Amino acid sequence: MNPSMAKPNWILSLLILCCFIFPSVLFATIEEESQKEEFNEELLLKPLPDRKVLAHFHFDSKANFFSYNGGFHLHLFPKAIYQLVHKFHVKEMELSFTQGRWNYERWGGFDPISSSNAKPPGVELWAVFDAPPSQVDALWKNLTHTLSGLFCSSINFLESSTTYSAPDWGFRAYSGSLRYGTLPREAVCTENLTPWLKLLPCRDKAGLAELMDRPSIYRGFYHSQRLHLVSSGFGSNSVDSEIELEQTLTVVLQPSTQRWATSYSTGSAMQPSWSLRTIFGREINKKCILAKSSNVYLQLDRGLVSEMKKKGFRPDFATSDISITNPAFELSPSPEKMIREVDNLNDVESSILYVFVIEKYVDAKPFDLVLTWKLPVAWSCSQAPLLANRFLMGSGNERGAIVISLKSINHHQSLVGTGAYGEKCNLHINVFQVVPWYVKVYYHTLRIYINGQVQPAANVTRKMRVSPSEDKVSPGALELALAFPCSMKSAELSLDFDKGFLHIDEYPPDANQGFDIPSALISFPDFHSSISFAEDSSLSPILSRLKKRSPALAYTEVLLVPLTTPDFSMPYNVITITCTVFALYFGSLLNVLRRRVDEEERRLEERAKRKSGKLRQQLQKLFARVRGRPLEQHPNPSAPSSSKTNSKLIMKVGLMVLIAVVWQYYLR
Amino acid sequence: MFIKMNPVIIISSLLLVLTYDHNVVAAKSSSSTSTTMHTNNWAVLVCTSRFWFNYRHMANTLSLYRTVKRLGIPDERIILMLADDMACNARNKYPAQVFNNENHRLNLYGDNVEVDYRGYEVTVENFMRVLTGRHEDAVPRSKRLLSDEGSHILLYMTGHGGDEFLKFQDSEELQSHDLADAVKQMKEKHRFKELLIMVDTCQAATLFNQLQSPGVLAIGSSMKGENSYSHHLDSDVGVSVVDRFTYYTLAFFERLNMYGNASLSSLFNSYNPNLLMSTAYYRTDLYQRNLEEVPVTNFFGSVMETIHTQSAYKAFSNKDFSRDIRSMPSEQPTDFQKRRELLADSGLETLSYSTDQICPIHQLCSTLEKKLDSIIDVETFVNRGLLIMLPLIAVTTWLSL
Repeated sequence: MNPSMAKPNWILSLLILCCFIFPSVLFATIEEESQKEEFNEELLLKPLPDRKVLAHFHFDSKANFFSYNGGFHLHLFPKAIYQLVHKFHVKEMELSFTQGRWNYERWGGFDPISSSNAKPPGVELWAVFDAPPSQVDALWKNLTHTLSGLFCSSINFLESSTTYSAPDWGFRAYSGSLRYGTLPREAVCTENLTPWLKLLPCRDKAGLAELMDRPSIYRGFYHSQRLHLVSSGFGSNSVDSEIELEQTLTVVLQPSTQRWATSYSTGSAMQPSWSLRTIFGREINKKCILAKSSNVYLQLDRGLVSEMKKKGFRPDFATSDISITNPAFELSPSPEKMIREVDNLNDVESSILYVFVIEKYVDAKPFDLVLTWKLPVAWSCSQAPLLANRFLMGSGNERGAIVISLKSINHHQSLVGTGAYGEKCNLHINVFQVVPWYVKVYYHTLRIYINGQVQPAANVTRKMRVSPSEDKVSPGALELALAFPCSMKSAELSLDFDKGFLHIDEYPPDANQGFDIPSALISFPDFHSSISFAEDSSLSPILSRLKKRSPALAYTEVLLVPLTTPDFSMPYNVITITCTVFALYFGSLLNVLRRRVDEEERRLEERAKRKSGKLRQQLQKLFARVRGRPLEQHPNPSAPSSSKTNSKLIMKVGLMVLIAVVWQYYLR
Repeated sequence: MFIKMNPVIIISSLLLVLTYDHNVVAAKSSSSTSTTMHTNNWAVLVCTSRFWFNYRHMANTLSLYRTVKRLGIPDERIILMLADDMACNARNKYPAQVFNNENHRLNLYGDNVEVDYRGYEVTVENFMRVLTGRHEDAVPRSKRLLSDEGSHILLYMTGHGGDEFLKFQDSEELQSHDLADAVKQMKEKHRFKELLIMVDTCQAATLFNQLQSPGVLAIGSSMKGENSYSHHLDSDVGVSVVDRFTYYTLAFFERLNMYGNASLSSLFNSYNPNLLMSTAYYRTDLYQRNLEEVPVTNFFGSVMETIHTQSAYKAFSNKDFSRDIRSMPSEQPTDFQKRRELLADSGLETLSYSTDQICPIHQLCSTLEKKLDSIIDVETFVNRGLLIMLPLIAVTTWLSL
């Protein structure tokens, strides 16, 4: 063995020796290293008023990079995300895959979950870059390609400048370096969820993600998978940088109601009882040991709690040691503790959170949470001050109008009243709307109706920013800040548009289905939804997330605009038909021009007269009869009429065509 | 003699400079295409049909996907193109599930499916880009076919087709010429060693008419003038779930495992025209090896070259191989890694050689420029030049005649 090979071996053995001698030292360094990264997993369950259940998975990874150019090893944090942030200078990014539409009326429009996890259908991506404005577009394009590879979807369609826009203030406060794009028709399925799960340290093999049985998740009414990341310290050459990655999956599921069908038929709206097993088809078998905390929460809404109190089931919530049963419902494993919301706004009832710490249960048997209702309860979720809808007006393939309708919810009056705006109370809303270029919106036609009456736009508009669309270059974007009087019952905003024409290559294969106008975003800057709990929320990312004040948001429906679609086989048809016509026309024309029919016939006749005997004449007669021509025409061919030649000509041309057809179809 | 040689060297060095990368590889592997080891496997699986009633085409493709994955090709070496979303389609009664049999015993979509191109992305353009490897810079690796001269590629396509074409998304066509061109380009770029094209569509055999690259094997589900039919209807799903050709292909593969040794000819012979209701067509004239000796896992399975080494990165002096070496002279470097290394070495050599040769060209250019500067009467110079041009044109036209 040569010395060069022996040397590393020697070093290796020394290292191994070191390992044996100083294990405590080594462990200490490992521990210190792993402290830089942190992973938490949580699941929030919430019964919804319309007999459904909301399941909100929340995975939170955090990583600190003390010296990222010196080389390091990532333990928990997904390397792909780190590279993405590092390469594209992403300061903040959110990517969501959504199927279905969040029902603001029934599932709530004024709580932290609805305002941060209710997303428009399809894919929504926005990113803020820590780069000079000239580079942002290039970074965005590369980012979309990378994400499309990472999440098995066609996010790369967002690279074209016709699909994304750069909102100024209507979407987020960042201006210049923010890009926003949506793909309303993007399919969301297993192939998107799997790579998302692969970012988790335990994947779906252990921990809460074990519950994610694909068929039951995708059977849900609403499904939104979201990835949100915030980074700091990457752009500058600072040593300390940090990335916080938040992955959430929000599902609205319908528990199977067969067992409780009887009570349903009697009319009393008994809530369906459910367990994790019945809604997901799976249980949590083991804890993800890499997670710092792994908790399941059951949240009872403010409305639900007050309803229950009204019915007199008060006492069980008061004490800290909770009994498993109370008159209204039964919880099968008794929760670790109960947290009550600290409501400092007014005396509206506070919501309640039951906490289940997974590691305490999993040791003995798989964790399954069972909620059994004993009495029927009906309640409603808290609503945003206005309920937003959007629809299309007009008919035909030429023009139409987009209308955003805002309806007031009755009880918002009290909320606004507390705001103390003085005599003139105003309700502020922001509208952000992106329209593809082929829907040509005329922004000057903006009409605002309040309680059915047209109002001059200047009266209610506080701020407005329009970036008109440019054909085949950029979409149109409208950012609008409005101030409505508080007494308003309903408001409508309407914008007229013309439908444009696309080039034949630009139509998608299913153009007849129509084209999508992405959801508009209505935000209420004065209304912040947050739920702060008595517990120290710094321990749990989901609690701190709920506590964070975020403005109430509402996405409207996606609109489907039918555009005029060409007959895609038309060019082919036109070419074949014109070719046939031309061939027939020129062929016969040439025939007419070249042939001297009269002369030929005369010569033939003369020759026939000279030579023919009786037999020949008889034959000619027979032939003429077979051809259906009157015999009288034969004797005097010397005086041909123009009509006769014409008919002959036509017959000849017809014969040619016939021969051509026969040749085409039978002889070939 | 020496003077005569010089321009030749200059021209060749110029060529080398321009295409030195390609040239080296070409020079190297033109001799070695037949001898390069089979080092990796790739699969490109394409479903070209949109719309729910074409469920069976997606099921076909996913069945093949499952088969090649089961037989050992990893996900990163499979390019899966699905033209529509069937699994989470609103019409699908079984969300996130795709079945290829009435009995619903097997969910093809599973928990771990990686779709590389889907929906509107499945176009003829993207298909050709994948095959020829001409992507935009930003396209991620997972969407590229990163095969090399040691690759065996399985190309499976299904959809609606006709005489010498295959429809994509019901709006575009891939013609047999396009396919042949792409394959030819792949061959010239050394993107494959052997290629198996399997097509399940009506008149599939016509799609192979224009192929002319060596090392290509083709199987089509039906001859010209024949239709390919679906196998059976699932009344729960509401549509036909699998095509006959694919169904019987899968029936053949279900009997195999990763170590199976069935030959390609046994696969070809397993198709029964009565069951298929069409005649399966094989084009083997471009393929040199005897089909009875080639196992199906050559294309549907995967090889992973493992080299046992004493210590890291010092393997080449004392390597031993775990795999058998077929039809290879013993003195030739059998190890692919080594060949790569050699290749890189020779590339470097030629590079340095060519840079040496650049200097005379530069000198020539500079002298020419100087002379041009010294000419004062430009018009006469131009006229003389034109006069010189005339005989040149005459000679060339005479030559071309």
